[in-house]
This record gives sequence, C-alpha cells and structure tokens, in this order.
Amino acid sequence: MPPPDDDLPAWSGPFVDAGASPGSLARSAGLQSIDRDWAWGRATGKRVRVAIIDSGVEGSHPKVRGRLVESVAVQLSADGDPEVVPDEPQDLFGHGTACAGIILGLAPEAEIVSVRVLGADLKGKGAAFARGLEWAIERGVQVANLSLSSKSEAMYPVFHELADDAYFHNVALVSAANNVPVQSYPSLFSSVLSVAAHGEPDPWRFYYNPRPPVEFGAWGVDVPIAWKDGTETAATGNSFAAPHIAGLVALILSKHPGLTPFEVKAILAAVADNAAGSDARRTPAIS
Amino acid sequence: MNDEPTGDELTDAVQALRAVALRGAVAARMEADSEQRLLQSIVDATLRLFDAEAASIALFEPDPDRLEFRVAAGPQGAGAIGKSVKPSQGIAGFVFSTGQALALSDVASDPRFDRSTAERTGYLPRSLAAVPLVDEGGAHGVLQVLDKRSSPTFSLRDMELLAVFATQAATAIAAARVQRDLPTLLRSAIGAVANGSLSSPQIDALATAAADLDRQAELPFWTLVDHVSSVRNLGERELSLLADILSVVAIHGARAPRRR
Repeated sequence: MPPPDDDLPAWSGPFVDAGASPGSLARSAGLQSIDRDWAWGRATGKRVRVAIIDSGVEGSHPKVRGRLVESVAVQLSADGDPEVVPDEPQDLFGHGTACAGIILGLAPEAEIVSVRVLGADLKGKGAAFARGLEWAIERGVQVANLSLSSKSEAMYPVFHELADDAYFHNVALVSAANNVPVQSYPSLFSSVLSVAAHGEPDPWRFYYNPRPPVEFGAWGVDVPIAWKDGTETAATGNSFAAPHIAGLVALILSKHPGLTPFEVKAILAAVADNAAGSDARRTPAIS
Repeated sequence: MNDEPTGDELTDAVQALRAVALRGAVAARMEADSEQRLLQSIVDATLRLFDAEAASIALFEPDPDRLEFRVAAGPQGAGAIGKSVKPSQGIAGFVFSTGQALALSDVASDPRFDRSTAERTGYLPRSLAAVPLVDEGGAHGVLQVLDKRSSPTFSLRDMELLAVFATQAATAIAAARVQRDLPTLLRSAIGAVANGSLSSPQIDALATAAADLDRQAELPFWTLVDHVSSVRNLGERELSLLADILSVVAIHGARAPRRR
C-alpha cells in the first residue's frame, strides 16, 4: 500500500528510482549478493549492547522485556563538571523507554544500557550529553542511540572528537536528524548514522539517502511506542525513526560481530528498500 | 600592563559594545508589546492552518527555570496562558530539552499522560505536536498544536510546516529579547574593557546609562559619549580608560550616519 505523498521524506522519491541515483554502492557487483537474510537473518541482537542516551529507560516496562542491563545518569558535580553516577531504572519523560521498545521490537535480545542525560533540571545540557556519550564509548557498547543534539558552536569540536572516538572504537552512533534548519551535532558528522522519519507503518522498511547528511529514513510517523509509567501511546518524530535503524544495526552486529560503522552503513545501503536489485528486500527468517 | 586591557581586548570589547548598541537601537524601535503580538499572530496562523483546537507558545524563563505559556489561540487554548511547567516536565519539556520535534496521538487513552500539566491548562488533548523554537543561539521555547480536527494524527508534512512557523517565532523572539538582555550584555562588555579597574556599581551605572539611551536616542554612539561623560564618580584612571574606549567608539560611530 503506497503511503500518502506527504508522509515520505522529500529525498526518498528520487532514490526509489535507483538507476538515477548517485548512491551506486548497492549496485556494485560484490554487494548484489548481500540481502537481508545474509545481513541479519535469524539474528536477535544477542550479545550486542545498545546505549540509549536519553531520558532514562523504565526497566519494568513490558516493552523493555527485562533487557535493561545497566542504568547511569549524568549529573553535575559540586564543581559543576558532569559526572556519571548509577541511576534507578527510571525514565523521566518516557522517551528513552520508547526508544528501547522500538529497538527491542527489532532486536529482542539486545542488551540495553540507559545513559540518562535529561531531566532533573540539568544545566549545561551539551556538556552532560557529551559526557554521557563519552561514557558509553568507554563502556564498550556497540551501538549508541542519540535522540538529542547540541546546537552550541562551543560543543562542535567536543562532539567531533567523540564521533571520531566512537568510530575508531567500532561504536555505531545512530542519531535522529533535526528537522529544524539549524546546525546540530553530532547528527551532521559523517561517521554518524543520521536518521529522518518516513510514514509507512513498517518497522522493517527503511531508505538509504544518497544525499547526506541525513543518510537513512525509517518509520517515524504514528509509531506505537512504550511510554512513561508502563503505558503505551503513538508518536511521530525523527527521534522515533532513529531507534529503528539502531535496532537493525544491533541485528547486523549480532550476526556479524566486529563490523566497523562504515561496513554497517554499506550493508544497510545494500539492503535498503530503495536499493537497486529487486531481491534486496527478501524477508529474512526471524528466529 | 597586567591590569590594562590590551589593544586586542579593547577592540573586542568595543566591538561588543557597538554590536549591543546597534541591536539595542533596532530593538528600541520595536514597541514594547511587539514580541507578544508577533507570537500571537504565529499561534493564530498555526491554529488556522492546522484547523486545530488549540495552539500555544511556551518560552523559557530563568530563575526559576521554567517554560511559561505566553500566547495561545483556539477555543481550548486560553486556559494555558500564564501557566508554567518545568523544563524537565512533559512533552514541552522534552522538546525544549532535546531540540527534537515530536507528536503524540491517543494521548487521552493514556490516563497518566502528563495529566497534571494538562489539567492545569484546563484541557486534555487527544493528540499534540510540539516543535522547539531554536536558532543559532539555542532553544527559546516550544510551539505546540493540540488536536488537529481533520485527523487524529500529525503527518510529516505537518511537522515540517510547524517547524517553519517555529523558525519565524524563534527569530522574532531573539530580536525582541536583545532589548531585555541589553543591560546584562553591556555590563559584561564594559566589565571586560575595564578589566577589573572599575567597581561593579560603576559598571552598573554605565550599563544603565547605556541601556537607557537606546530607548531614547536615534544615535546611540554619540549619546553614549554624553552619558559616559556624565558619570561623575569615576577616578582619573578610569576616565582615561574610558577616553580611550570612546575614541575607538567614535571612530566606529563615525561610520554610521549621524546628526550634524
């Protein structure tokens, strides 16, 4: 069922006609043998740790499936420096829990690490966010889902260094694109998987955008989500699209451990719904 | 040398003063309620465009940190005006904190959804969309739309349109706020120039004098000279420092059109 036009990102149209696209990687000979079954067939996300850098995760929520393995929060020390401390398995807004639910909907056996950088009237959000991301990289997670960004010029070099750090530590950073036309970091950095929303109600449907900085499009309109206090609702926004890609990345990494973020991107591009090759989207077996 | 500003510092500080005075002069031309009227026109237009039950703008205010609903439109909007929520609370708080636009539907089906805030504003929406008011300077607040009548949900196009309105609002707010922030900006600029050699009451006096002139005068730089020279309680050394500043200001000011 084709979705209404206004629910497709502007860039998805041209790329559906892959023949006219500059994103030619998926058409190259070697990648034609890559399909979704190869990429993540029978994978569950097992042994992949995904950090959710957000508002916290409600550990007891049914959609979190008991997969929350660690919760920390960034708070400001007496000197005003951000520090990471253990946190309750709680979510102050509901948003981090929503992200966890989406990721686990695709990768049910992934391990969720909650890094809470929002709430409790935290000042210096950019610095707290950076410290949380740094902690997640040091902690050795394989995927980090970021639904927030910093607009501060002063934070640009900090996030740039962290994005490189993540890349060199094989941490795939998945970031919600901003739909307000201002510079924001780290979603604009090249090593990050930046994600915008599409409106087709299918968690497995995603697009590769050959004209970055936004590189991927995933379901982000009217997505059923887990919310605060064990509840569920439906939500729209790029920040609900990003965890769909994070979930797919977790699946790929659980089946192919040790891939670099660059390799993960190449695989995603090869099996995207708008990649050339009619069998790119052969439905994989799910265990 | 150690307590004298260097040439570079002086130039920087004078440039800061010049920028502040110029922006202040622009802001002074805007009427006192122009920000309010502009915001109101934005929520009115948003309401009509979306055919919604309510639209509102909440702006960030410090001490204590809060998001204050400044304007609203629509039959269900009035109850929100003047109410505040914590920046760590509810959808508005999340959108403000993250800079991420989002929409929720089936809100009423969730009995615990942000009920305290909704009840305080006197209206419990079924769906809502919220986008941040951001510009290069950061987040100023949140624009919200409640209950689009034609559809139970918000589309991507809705979110993009809302972002366009939010960009307008953010620009207007940033311009209007320069006026309000003028004394603080001036105080820090003068403080930087004086490099510790002026007492804080003296800096305050200068800042107040300079902020006042922007509301009254077309020609901030030349009036600045008058105001500064009327500050009596400066010592010899400070006056000499100010003379240096003003000579640079005068050079900058001479580039602007002035009264002969």
